[in-house]
Amino acid sequence: MSRLSETQTGFAHAVRNADAAVPEGVVSHLRDKPRKRFGIYRNNVYVSLINVLEGRFPVVARLLGEEFFKATARVFVEHHPPASPVLMRYGGAFPEFLETFEPVSDLPWLPDVARLEWAWNLAYHAADRDPISPEALATIDPASADSLVFELHSAVQVVRSPYPVVTIWSENSKDREPGQIDAGAGGEDGLIVRPGIAVDVRHLPPGGAAFITALSERKTLGSAAERALAEDESFDLQANLGGLIGSGAVVALETA
Amino acid sequence: MESKTRKMTSLAVAGAFAASVAAVGATPAVAADDMVKCYGIAKKGENDCKAGPGTSCSGTSTVDYQGNAWKLVKKGTCTQVSTPAGKGSLSCLTSRPAGKTYDCG
Repeated sequence: MSRLSETQTGFAHAVRNADAAVPEGVVSHLRDKPRKRFGIYRNNVYVSLINVLEGRFPVVARLLGEEFFKATARVFVEHHPPASPVLMRYGGAFPEFLETFEPVSDLPWLPDVARLEWAWNLAYHAADRDPISPEALATIDPASADSLVFELHSAVQVVRSPYPVVTIWSENSKDREPGQIDAGAGGEDGLIVRPGIAVDVRHLPPGGAAFITALSERKTLGSAAERALAEDESFDLQANLGGLIGSGAVVALETA
Repeated sequence: MESKTRKMTSLAVAGAFAASVAAVGATPAVAADDMVKCYGIAKKGENDCKAGPGTSCSGTSTVDYQGNAWKLVKKGTCTQVSTPAGKGSLSCLTSRPAGKTYDCG
């Protein structure tokens, strides 16, 4: 009689390795260790995880086509089985996997598209928070704005890319045929927010990514603006701040 | 140190803050009727068990793309995106990226 953990380890090994023997204790009403039936079980484990990835990375799936995506996802599942029983956390390693997966190496923008989709997923499942109200904003003295510290919504994420990742994503998120996109047209930064229950992806203006990243690190408004200006001198504080608050990304403000 | 490199005065920050708050005040970030909560919805494939084609015994024990995944052809919309290395391909390419050779079967 083996211990439970040994049974589980042996079972998991047999599920993940097509060449492994049917694990001890698996029986059908016809025979001991039914190889074909266990193969069906093994395949169903793969198919269900591939389906999760397809639902989680619909734009990557559309870009690659269903058959190619499923073949790619199968290799990923083989090398990266779930580390949590919670399926909404599955797939975080997929963007990095795509970086090293040679069959997609001629699509250098693909891992960043996957990063944006993963960020979308995290935002979708993030805790609910109400954006700061206009009334609360009105109580803040602009003279103290320089030293304000922002509390951002837990859904807020920034995805930066040397490729037009927001355009590629949005063109392929619609039902219609995507337009032609020039991958060499320059990089794009995306802001992912979820002010209510719907995830929103926005294209950030110059310096916006550095600005929001600094705010998320609890830098003051003044020093976040400095950092954004240092990265891009065309940074427009008023437009970026208005866009950020207007997107529902800010839940509270406090003076440092 | 920082004061030497500062390009933005606190007065400018105050002005930008006041202006953006005024602009936001007129348009709330979320319309109240967008805030309907909907429970009991799992995203596709994430419920515990799923009946129907694809997950039940319609699978076979021998389906295995592992060894030949890269021989498959990308049929999706990646051809709409052009890159310096070339467009996404509708047919198997034996020599991309350059310097390596793939077996296209």
